[in-house]
Amino acid sequence: MKRWLAAILLGAAPMLAVGCAVQGRPFEPAYSLPDNAVIYVYRPYHFGSSLLRPPVTCGAETAEIGPGGYHAFVVPAGQVICRVEVETADELEIHAQPRAYYVKEEFGWGVLRGHPHLNPMDADMAQTEIQQCCVREP
Amino acid sequence: MRCTFALLAILAAAVSALGCSARQVSFVPPVQEVSAQPLPFKGRLVDGDPGELPAAVAMSLSDNSRVTFSYREELTHDERHVPLIVSAFNPATYAGSPLGDFGVTAFASLSIFDGDAVLGHYTAEAQVSKSYSIYSEPTHREVDRAVRAEVRAKIDQQLRADRDRLARAADAPAKPAADLTQ
Repeated sequence: MKRWLAAILLGAAPMLAVGCAVQGRPFEPAYSLPDNAVIYVYRPYHFGSSLLRPPVTCGAETAEIGPGGYHAFVVPAGQVICRVEVETADELEIHAQPRAYYVKEEFGWGVLRGHPHLNPMDADMAQTEIQQCCVREP
Repeated sequence: MRCTFALLAILAAAVSALGCSARQVSFVPPVQEVSAQPLPFKGRLVDGDPGELPAAVAMSLSDNSRVTFSYREELTHDERHVPLIVSAFNPATYAGSPLGDFGVTAFASLSIFDGDAVLGHYTAEAQVSKSYSIYSEPTHREVDRAVRAEVRAKIDQQLRADRDRLARAADAPAKPAADLTQ
């Protein structure tokens, strides 16, 4: 009986954990100086999303983005490298003009921990997706 | 006994599967390796990043020439990811089977002007696709760099093939190519 109870609790724990989408304000465009670019890195929430919150760095700024969250990196125009690392690393090079860029952070399978991906997205698709999926983390 | 045997068999299968090296299928269109040569004249870059040019153009830059270069590159990403729920229950995942691929297409265009006259206009397209697995994966930056190198090599090839015509076109105003620099 105790074994059954332990098994149920063990199974229920991840179910509770995966419900942890971040809370925050809905998407709103970031303001920046005319010579700056804005890179929105967003992470849609999926059932069973990884709970990892690895730091994402774009230019000189770093942010931890949880499932269902986004962060707006305001960077000077020019070459910008965005990077995230867990078990493996992904890097994205953006030749930034003074406009908005969208990057979707997703996790794939890894040997011990998830592999993060920084997927560059088309603005049309990303604008809709980020407004539906993600909130600004406090 | 039977249970132990089954466990040992599963363990052995898993160990042998792990021994398989991760496959990294990559598709890189063949481009003939050629050493880039400078153009028969120098030119000013009016549109483009001086650090991100085809080698022939980069070797022919000058701040004070009436010939101008305009170079643009655009990347389009096309990615494929096997859904997590599918790959989780696929034994091939743990043997290193590809879980998706990062595909990038690059379009490049180079225009060369002498005043208002167009000396040449070149376009090229290149595609690179690299797959990833549970054990290894390229970064987006590596794939982007590979496709940029590919498309620049194609522009260099076109410039090399058109070199004689370009030299004649630059000489057309009855001035030697070297005099194009003001």
